[in-house]
Amino acid sequence: MSSASTATALSTQRIVELSELLQDSLASLDNADLLEESTLLARSLSALETNNTQTLSRHDLLNHYTSACGYAEILLEELGNTTQEALQHGLTELVAAIRELSATPEAVAKASPSYKSEPRNANVGSILVVDDQNDNRAVLKRLLSRVGHTVYTADSGEAALEHLNSQSIDVVLLDLSMPGMGGKTALTKIKADPKLRSIPVIVISGHKELDSVIECITAGADDYLFKPFNSVLLHARIAAGLERKQWHDREVNYLHQLEQREKFIRATFGRYLTDEIVADILEKPEGLRLGGDLKEVTILMADIRGFTQLCSQMPPEQVVSLLNGYLGTMTEIIMRHNGTIDEFLGDAILAVFGAPKDDPNHAQSAVACSIEMQKAVAAVNRQHQTSALPQISTGIAINTGTVVAGNIGSDRRAKYGFVGTPMNVTSRIEDLCEANEILISETTMQALPNTDQLRDKGTHSLKGLGAPVRVFGVEWQH
Amino acid sequence: MSTKLLLVEDNELNRDMLTRRLLRKGFEVLIAEDGLEALEQMRQHQPDVVLMDLNLPVLSGWEACKIAANDPDLAHIPMLALTAHALEQELAKALDAGCKDYATKPIDFPVLLEKIAGLLNP
Repeated sequence: MSSASTATALSTQRIVELSELLQDSLASLDNADLLEESTLLARSLSALETNNTQTLSRHDLLNHYTSACGYAEILLEELGNTTQEALQHGLTELVAAIRELSATPEAVAKASPSYKSEPRNANVGSILVVDDQNDNRAVLKRLLSRVGHTVYTADSGEAALEHLNSQSIDVVLLDLSMPGMGGKTALTKIKADPKLRSIPVIVISGHKELDSVIECITAGADDYLFKPFNSVLLHARIAAGLERKQWHDREVNYLHQLEQREKFIRATFGRYLTDEIVADILEKPEGLRLGGDLKEVTILMADIRGFTQLCSQMPPEQVVSLLNGYLGTMTEIIMRHNGTIDEFLGDAILAVFGAPKDDPNHAQSAVACSIEMQKAVAAVNRQHQTSALPQISTGIAINTGTVVAGNIGSDRRAKYGFVGTPMNVTSRIEDLCEANEILISETTMQALPNTDQLRDKGTHSLKGLGAPVRVFGVEWQH
Repeated sequence: MSTKLLLVEDNELNRDMLTRRLLRKGFEVLIAEDGLEALEQMRQHQPDVVLMDLNLPVLSGWEACKIAANDPDLAHIPMLALTAHALEQELAKALDAGCKDYATKPIDFPVLLEKIAGLLNP
């Protein structure tokens, strides 16, 4: 498109816009002497609606332009310096646009049949128009509504702030000189409010208020427009403001999602993993892919002896409260020893040491952890005594072996988990445990630097396992 | 006695608009809607100036101007062409046809008034 035909399209568009705008102003013009002229102008203008400019022949279109222009000039002469400022601006601009368009003959030729309705910006939003003058508000509202924006109006700074606090606004068009709270004060308040700060504000002012405009830009205004506004410029500024707002919203939304997600991950994983591991996984997201590694770990399994029986003797809420107190205490201890809680199975806890975070001393950590756990149970029991809760006792089994550690499951539901015979062996050893006992397997024993506290508990054939397993008891009470 | 103008314009909107503007300036305004009617009005009323649109039905403005310019009874009446186009060939055509001056649409009214005044007092 050549610049000449762009200019043509713009002035044609402008004439159509002005025509529609002026019809309103003309209908409300309260001047009996100009009634006929304004009616005739309105009639000419109505011929210049968007649809007609597309279908009218070049000759007819030009005739409509000419007569509209003529009537506009009659009205302008007669209106003189009356209060109809908006109407005068509109008429003046109409005359100028028509003259400009008619100046290039080929422009007129091109303008009529090929003229398409103005390039509608798909980008529309909620605009708040703040102006104390009815005319200005009406003109802006009409201009902006035409291209699809949702337009709210306010006649003062106070009303504007009220709107902003109750509605979601994308761009504010703010007149500077208003009685009561002026534009500048309103702008300062908007930019001082963390909730409103991000809404782009376009300041509208007269040409003589350049100093105020500069002040406003300094105070956070995003853009400015001089009165009488050129509609093309107005639309361009609004579009830019909208885009700014939308980018901002998108960013906020994205950050919010990210934050929620991280919070969720931390909260979910944090229940089972130490904060250190969670941070580690979050920093290395490739660690979250499905699949796993073979890893030597030490597995710890603890459960409350006779818990099922205990449950049947207690009201359910007491069971839950007891269990939560117990599991909470145990979780803290396990995490302190860098263990990963794989699962809670009722009253049973399955924890793993040495994965996902490497711990060369996983066997030692697990044993130390188990001793602390048993001691904690003793403390819990002392507490239970005072609160009339039943006494509990725990058996803990520990086994060391190579398991598959990793994210196991489907894309939709996966968890960091462990699979392998050592897991089952641990569970079987747990079955051997007496109250307050810690039993460790031979493999764990072999991994310990110090076996002083161990007592051989013999070799046992365990259900479902081929080779018998030798176990050792850990002396923890003395 | 007020100046008598003949406005020849087929478009009702423009004719009406221009008539109103001219009446407001104190002219007496006669109207014709096509070239043939224009010639009849000229003969009948002997206007002081003719404002002639060139694109006219029945008999075009150019034809009407040519006829008027070659008619001894009408040749003295100054004619001003109203043309939509600032194209030079259009203007040349109008001047060839016997128009003394021209005004392009949309009419710049003050300029038109000046030109009318110029034709009245050469």
